[in-house]
Amino acid sequence: MKVLEIKNVHKIYNSSEVKVHAVNDISLDFEEGDFAAIVGPSGSGKTTLLNLIGGLDSPTEGEIIVDHINLAGLKSSGLIDFRMRNIGFVFQSYNLIPVLTAKENVEFIMNLQKWNKKERDERTLELLKAVGLEDRINSRPAKLSGGQQQRVAVARALASKPKFVLADEPTANLDSKSTETLLNIMEELNREEGITFIFSTHDARVVKKARRVITIEDGQVISDERKN
Amino acid sequence: MNNLILAWRNLWRNRRRTLITAASVFLAVLFALFFRSLQRGSYDHMYKNAIESYTGYIQVQHKDFWDEKIVDNTFIYDNQLEQQLLADENVEATIPRFESFALASNGPQTKGVLVMGVDPEKEHYLSNISERMVKYRLTPESIERIDKDPNIPEKVKELAGLFENSAYTNASRLQLDLGIADKEASQVMPAIKEHTVFNNGSIYMGKPGVWVGDKLSQYLQLGIGDTIVLISQGYHATTAAGKYEIKGIVKLPLPDIDNKIVYLPLDVCQELYNAEEHFTSLALAVHDNEDKAIEETISRITAVISVEQRVMGWREMNEVMVSQMDADDKGGMIMIGILYLVIAFGVFGTVLMLTAERKREFGVLVAIGMQKKKLATVMTLEMLLIGFMGILAGAVIASALILYGVEHPLIFKGEMAKMFEDYGLEPQFVFQGIDTYYLWQIFIVILMVFLSIGYPVQKIFKMKVVNALRA
Repeated sequence: MKVLEIKNVHKIYNSSEVKVHAVNDISLDFEEGDFAAIVGPSGSGKTTLLNLIGGLDSPTEGEIIVDHINLAGLKSSGLIDFRMRNIGFVFQSYNLIPVLTAKENVEFIMNLQKWNKKERDERTLELLKAVGLEDRINSRPAKLSGGQQQRVAVARALASKPKFVLADEPTANLDSKSTETLLNIMEELNREEGITFIFSTHDARVVKKARRVITIEDGQVISDERKN
Repeated sequence: MNNLILAWRNLWRNRRRTLITAASVFLAVLFALFFRSLQRGSYDHMYKNAIESYTGYIQVQHKDFWDEKIVDNTFIYDNQLEQQLLADENVEATIPRFESFALASNGPQTKGVLVMGVDPEKEHYLSNISERMVKYRLTPESIERIDKDPNIPEKVKELAGLFENSAYTNASRLQLDLGIADKEASQVMPAIKEHTVFNNGSIYMGKPGVWVGDKLSQYLQLGIGDTIVLISQGYHATTAAGKYEIKGIVKLPLPDIDNKIVYLPLDVCQELYNAEEHFTSLALAVHDNEDKAIEETISRITAVISVEQRVMGWREMNEVMVSQMDADDKGGMIMIGILYLVIAFGVFGTVLMLTAERKREFGVLVAIGMQKKKLATVMTLEMLLIGFMGILAGAVIASALILYGVEHPLIFKGEMAKMFEDYGLEPQFVFQGIDTYYLWQIFIVILMVFLSIGYPVQKIFKMKVVNALRA
């Protein structure tokens, strides 16, 4: 089942003198359960594409359809609400809320969605167990290592059971051991919960784990390979 | 997570900055309340002095008297008018007066004086002159006696010289000026009182005799038992002249009046001006002296008096003083405004830093699904919490200081007191209790905090998530 359709999407940045065609006529579909990596050199348009998919930026041309809903048709607050319910984000530099504990960070989105306390507690514990941090639930981000923070960020992204998770260079700041652990956790969650993961990455270890690798260059898809 | 808890925790991310910002609000509130209390307390005290020693709260006068203070602009006081005035719910008593000017002399010294014919019995409803009688005076003779007294400390003798010719209506002020501490007062003050005591006589209706202001008595070099000569123009241009024995010296808190006042018994004064049965004014003692009550009383009395009379309130009669106080009040408000402006920039600086520093975090929060409205609410709560911490601390400390100040006015002594008196000021600062100015100052600080909130809120609503994430 398709969770995401990208149809002839363009993104052009107009600076004062130069037009930058960051995304140039990209069309892609993502199925439920995809574990896909978008790769390409710096400036190829990976992050821009991810921002467009996540509704953080709007395309100059083309359509992005998530679960049969065209993001272009949503107004600002509607789009925020849509992201909250359907899209999980994992950022390169974790971006946890520093004043909240690991548990509070994970349940933050559930709080926004007004889940009841029992459901929140169960889901939070389940996710923190899944990322191997059940013993650090009351630690604030400053007390966690980079790898642990990124695992909390993954748990946060999955908290509200989104349609897919967008991860922008999630392993860029991690050592190899933490990268390995994180990738295993994400793969396991992908298999167990059937959540689609889309990464942008330079990291060969991520590419190796991915079951689909999309290569883009100069804003265009060069190849789209699926592994068995 | 509740917005308030999130805001509260955010505040303590940078503990030092939060405390500095709250401290600046605290200082603004503290200084504003403290100085407003001091300023308004001093005005009230000065007004009270002017009212109680001269004008009263309300006067009924001949319609032309205020504009042309001549003896011809007087009216005849009858029982019917008194009954009409006393029938008013706010009028406690009517105090008849005959006020004019005269040339006073004693030997070679001459001075224009304010002659006030009063009924000593009735006057206590308003001015309580008997409490203003000089009871102690540091005359050259009394200072000599103090100098010779071996039981009096040297520093007291030095200060006594500094205050030569000063007069006192009570011993506590004398004690302060001479720098005598409470613990040594029981040993020193009895001797000081004995050396400086000043005995006054009384004035009575029907018996010639005058009380004169302390400063006037010093200018004309008059003492008890001396004679003062008054020359003026009486009713219908007759000559008014008389000589009277000084029965007592009064010290009024208004130096200007103290320097020219001569009190005569009312009937003696009317006789001097050949205006028997005539009065220049009826001062009214009132039960309620609040501005609103005074205005209402004036309206009611205006309706019952004849067209030949007019009613004046204390503000109108002390127009110059009220204008001076108003100008000073405005000056004080400008100073407080500048203080607020400085503090506002400080708070705004914090807001700017806080907003710039958390731009990326704002982007993340909106990206993962926090509505901008909710984010703005959290920011607003953060700033309000800082503001409330400062306001609360400022208001509590200021209240404690002010309430203490109301009970214990700041009284200057020694050389500082002398300096105040030389400038014609009472050597004390009086505080005004907690009043509407309190709410105003707090409202202004809250408004200042709200204005500073405008910036981050506007930034949040205009924020482009992608740009914020790149910050």
